[in-house]
Amino acid sequence: MAQFIIPKRDETKEMRYQMGYALADLAYEYDRIIAVDADLRSSSGLHIFEHFHPAKLVKVGIAEQNLIAVAAGLSQEGYIPFPCTFDAFSRRFMDQLYVTVAYSNLNVKVLGAYPGLFTGKAGATHQSDKELGLILRIPNLTVIEPGCNLEMAQALRSSVEKPGPFYFRIVRCEVEYNEIFEGYKFEIGKGVTVCDAGADVGLVCTGYMIKTAKIAAQKLAKKGIGVRVDHHPTLKPFDRDLLYDLAKRVSCIVTLENHCTSGGLFSLVAEALAAKGIGVPVGAIGTDPEDFIHTGHVNDLLYRYKMTSDDVVEKALDFLNQRSKV
Amino acid sequence: MKTQMTKSTRQEARVGQERYLDPFDVSLFWKPFRENTRQRYDVLPFHADYPELLRSCEVLAYLIRSYTVWEMTCGALGHPGGSFSEAECLAVLFNYVLRFDPQDPEWPMRDVFYLSKCHAVPGLYTVLALFRYFPIQKLKFYGAWGSGLESHPDCLMTPGIEVSGGSLGQIPGVAVGRALGIRYNGPDHNDRIVYVLIGDGECNEGSVWEAFMAAGHWKLDNLVAIIDYNKVEAKGFLSQDMSIEPLVDKLKAFNFQVFEAQNGHDVAELVDIFNCIIAQRRGKPIALILNTIKGKKVRECQYNPNWHTSAPRDVEKAGIWLEELWEQDGRRLGIPKEFHLALKQAIEIVPPAHGNPDEIVERQA
Repeated sequence: MAQFIIPKRDETKEMRYQMGYALADLAYEYDRIIAVDADLRSSSGLHIFEHFHPAKLVKVGIAEQNLIAVAAGLSQEGYIPFPCTFDAFSRRFMDQLYVTVAYSNLNVKVLGAYPGLFTGKAGATHQSDKELGLILRIPNLTVIEPGCNLEMAQALRSSVEKPGPFYFRIVRCEVEYNEIFEGYKFEIGKGVTVCDAGADVGLVCTGYMIKTAKIAAQKLAKKGIGVRVDHHPTLKPFDRDLLYDLAKRVSCIVTLENHCTSGGLFSLVAEALAAKGIGVPVGAIGTDPEDFIHTGHVNDLLYRYKMTSDDVVEKALDFLNQRSKV
Repeated sequence: MKTQMTKSTRQEARVGQERYLDPFDVSLFWKPFRENTRQRYDVLPFHADYPELLRSCEVLAYLIRSYTVWEMTCGALGHPGGSFSEAECLAVLFNYVLRFDPQDPEWPMRDVFYLSKCHAVPGLYTVLALFRYFPIQKLKFYGAWGSGLESHPDCLMTPGIEVSGGSLGQIPGVAVGRALGIRYNGPDHNDRIVYVLIGDGECNEGSVWEAFMAAGHWKLDNLVAIIDYNKVEAKGFLSQDMSIEPLVDKLKAFNFQVFEAQNGHDVAELVDIFNCIIAQRRGKPIALILNTIKGKKVRECQYNPNWHTSAPRDVEKAGIWLEELWEQDGRRLGIPKEFHLALKQAIEIVPPAHGNPDEIVERQA
């Protein structure tokens, strides 16, 4: 048996490892949970799950289509399967996810590891910043991109308690235990206002970018600009009510996502606002839909795609300056 | 509304017929071989009931083909080639092999039957209706908006369908996961088996072989992969477009125990093979290759890719098919001639529910 290093629970902040622990915890409580691995377990964090539940990890080998199909079959025998592979490889099982899992409304919880820019320099083949374009348009599917480890664990639990297909984007970088507020409770389909300082600017974020949004908010506050940060862990169904509430109160919005600026969060926001005829200017932080994300250190990638808090501040200031010119 | 339609159909059937026969009263000439489809009833060739089993399966296969012609013509939709090549297999499976309960389609002790070549679902819908998962008259609305009988099956809409599908190559993997789940759940008194009927052209899909690799690795001897080897895919012949030969060797190399029906339309051979399969499980997944003929028993469909996707376009054509089926099977099996004539009379191409102000035209497949 392959030997893997099991990172200590209180020494790692990487969401993938905490996911391994959280899922292992849940499996003690819900004995129908079963994880399915396509030869990536020590990368995805499932090796931690395997450490605690060796008999509850099914290995299908390097076969992503079969990963989802086998999980679908297991769910039909009353199991709660968590198939897990790189988010980028959702491109290989998209049809299984669409037809077999979502169309049949099966109780399968797909874990997409390494979403967006954080792939440990794996390059364009492994970076997944376009996939939400289709994943967010699959009926029956709930799509969640948690922003911190507390939220991730709560979201996993919610998915076990609610039958039906789920898709999670589990980011590879380190995240805080709790980015939101003391006593926060994740709810499927609900966004959350993380901070609200009498708002000029609204930041709408998902996933790990809650951290970037909060830093940007602090920087803007130092310049005397009020910012409200709304975090949307559930991308589908999208919490439009929270967005409409924000749009009423701010003069511009900036969206932040670990995905390209088409088909993901920015598109959700733009569609929702356009549908109500709300004319708030919206800027997008995210990767370029026309680019393959080439190999590079994450700092260089974030610089190239202007995804740091400084870029958020700049974008917000641009909007505010334009407004004052008019 | 449904009862009204039945009445009008009956009246139509009377027109021009000397003797009235309700084409939807199947009990006139067929009933399920087993009284209780929850139970297996082993019949070996020396048993007294053996001839009756074969006759019942043959009649069922005839009915599957005939009602499927009616259903596809009414729906202006369908895949006759695959529906006809699988008819005997479906007949033997539902009449003899599978344990199921139409009154309780979710009965947890049932055998699982997946149709992976989902385009051949008209044949499956017919057999489900004959076993009373839903009224047989409903087949008329196959493919109509809101009918619950989708072009490719939807498990949330149609009782008896185990999983939704239509994109080929996916369901073998689901069957593997299901068989694995049954094993993980531990021994049960019913010793449940998962059957998956796969198209031969479907075996061009790589995901089929991913599933086979996993089945062989996990030694799932509660999985029976049936390959309907009718030699024809949608637009051509397997041997010319993309051959799957040597199929037996491939399956053996994937660690399957392989059975082969020399004639997949011979119900006796199928009954004997399924008796063997159930009795002789050897710690390996089971493959059954059915040597069949695409479009079997309708002359112009046989071995003809042009009838992979297409339904008869008018009542006359459907009538010719129904008559051919009756001449070959109905007559020798003692089905009254009035049956196929009445079924022809009952054809009514279901119109769309709505008009179309823009006169957009799409022709029948």
